Amino acid sequence: MSNRGVRNLFIFGSLFFFVIFIGLTVDTMKKLDKRAPEITEEVDQGKKLWHKYDCIGCHTILGNGSYFAPDLTKITVNKPEGYLEKFLVNPRKVKPSAAMPVLGISPEEAKKIIAFLKWISKVDTNGWPPKPVLATYRMPRSPGVTVFQKYGCTACHMINGVGGTSGPDLTHVASRKPDRQWHIKHIRDPQSVVPDSAMPGFPQMSEQELNQLVDYLLTLK
Amino acid sequence: MKYKSQKIAEYFYTFAVLLFLVQVVVGIIAALQFIWPDFFPLKFNIIRDLHINALVVWLLMGLMGATYFVVPEEAQSELWSLPLAYFQFWATVVTVTLVVLGYIWMGFNPHANKFVFGTLLLNEGREYIEAPRWADILIVVSVLLFLLNNFMTMYKSKRWTGIQGTLLGGLTFLALMYLPGMFYTKSMVKDQFWWWWVVHLWVEGAWEVIAGALLAFMLLKVTNAPRHVLERWMYIEVALVLFTGILGTGHHYYWIGTPKYWLWIGGIFSSLEPVPLLVMVWDAFRTTRVHRVVTNRLGLFYAVAHAVFNFVGAGLWGVIHTVPMANKWTHGTQITTAHGHLAFYGAYVLLVISMIYITLPLIRERTDFRTSRGYTSFWVMTISMIFIVLSLTGAGMVQTYMERLVGLDYVTVKANYNLVFWIVRAISGVGFLVGVLIFVVDYFKLGHEPAEVGAKSNVSVTTHAA
Repeated sequence: MSNRGVRNLFIFGSLFFFVIFIGLTVDTMKKLDKRAPEITEEVDQGKKLWHKYDCIGCHTILGNGSYFAPDLTKITVNKPEGYLEKFLVNPRKVKPSAAMPVLGISPEEAKKIIAFLKWISKVDTNGWPPKPVLATYRMPRSPGVTVFQKYGCTACHMINGVGGTSGPDLTHVASRKPDRQWHIKHIRDPQSVVPDSAMPGFPQMSEQELNQLVDYLLTLK
Repeated sequence: MKYKSQKIAEYFYTFAVLLFLVQVVVGIIAALQFIWPDFFPLKFNIIRDLHINALVVWLLMGLMGATYFVVPEEAQSELWSLPLAYFQFWATVVTVTLVVLGYIWMGFNPHANKFVFGTLLLNEGREYIEAPRWADILIVVSVLLFLLNNFMTMYKSKRWTGIQGTLLGGLTFLALMYLPGMFYTKSMVKDQFWWWWVVHLWVEGAWEVIAGALLAFMLLKVTNAPRHVLERWMYIEVALVLFTGILGTGHHYYWIGTPKYWLWIGGIFSSLEPVPLLVMVWDAFRTTRVHRVVTNRLGLFYAVAHAVFNFVGAGLWGVIHTVPMANKWTHGTQITTAHGHLAFYGAYVLLVISMIYITLPLIRERTDFRTSRGYTSFWVMTISMIFIVLSLTGAGMVQTYMERLVGLDYVTVKANYNLVFWIVRAISGVGFLVGVLIFVVDYFKLGHEPAEVGAKSNVSVTTHAA
């Protein structure tokens, strides 16, 4: 093929692929709104704050961003809202080892950012992030463990290296807090025993579940 | 240097080289913040903004400088307007400086980043295109002046070559693809959709077209290969770049809330993206073997290294996690960081440096110059970069396994299991800085020292064919 022929192949071939790309873009734009919840005024304000504080400078969202701090696509599913609110305002007050600085986010701004993150968590992402397939950590089978898992305690608390880091590690919690009554009060209403706690209370937990959970916690010495 | 106005290229190169140094210094600060988050008064987000913005700007400056050299050379005439080129240079320097000062100000006072007329004053909070809207507009004006100047030079000379046509085409595509990043969307999904138009269609579209044109120009300058052969291969390369790269954008549309058909489109086309990069490697080696009259061995060495590492970094390190089945697990992990580092280094850092080593001796009118420092800096930078990339790849593999497969917490994996990788990465970063410092010294000294003679001479004429 002559140079002119190859050149024309380059120009018209590229235009051809670009036209297809634009067609797919138009189609995608039509479908996007149906794959996500409605955007309220609060969600939009939250998104603007997301940009203002340059959150993407450390975090990823939908897997894109800076890889320095956790991905926030499903953060509102995994962490209690009250915790997130306090964390955003002053991270190290609720988690002393946090790397995040105090950015000067007000409690009202925190609520808006959380509204935005809640919206993101409901976007249809074709199944991303995937559920961990090897998460078959062998916890002792007991009614207390079932309660522990049912109420999502692992999202924030770690036992034997497995679980979140937002709350204290519970591997040896019974050595630190051997008092049964303390645990019962703490789970029902954390602020009644730890005034600054960012943990949500669990008044909805049944009496039986509460007792089973505390039985389990007291084995962790 | 045949045309006086080509001197403007050196201004762009100097600014590029200094920003390269800034990029690597802040990169080391960022690497240390992975180990000690409070290591520096400015927090990680600002340091990273500086790291990636310095990268984009210095590469653009280098490509602009290279273009200001190539276009008069190809058009065989002086630039259309040298004063305009000087104005464009200084206006860009002032804009970039203001943006950097804005980031630093925001680092000390996050509330200074206010909404003014509906846009953020100091930082848009969008990765790579953090520059605020007022700066976007100034950048667009600067690029338009740059394109006008080069287009008018070609237009007035009436001498159209394939190389400069492709170069100008790539640059125009680059300018157009900046625009989808310049409007606000309420939906984060649409935000990221258009954002990828800018980011992907730059680095895996327009910039690779520019790289193809510059590779052809470099091979033309330093070997005795005939133009029509080089240009034919250039067309094949850039055609394949866009045939695969445009729809390859789909590999960013797997998990951001876009329809499922992108898994197919992105998976198929982005798997083919390494093909043109492989053709470039083959082209560079073939030309070097067949045409043995080499007027600038160091320049050719860098050009071939660019082709090789473009393929390894952008091609191989990209394709390993580009199919949806793999990407589902690796998306958003340090695997991407590893790919990003080697791709930018191979595809664009080595490209700009090879353009500097091929054109700067001509600008300073010293074709036979001392080259030992150039080779040393290459090896120090490249070996350090390989260690950076391997440590990040290791970190990414551990992260994928521990966090994505086993379900451990992000922070646990980062702080415990990956700590050793952060340490290796930071040490390698210091190694890379040493390589960059050698290069910077060489840049300023090039042509001002006596050259090596004999076998080490930069000019080699081998009569026998390989």
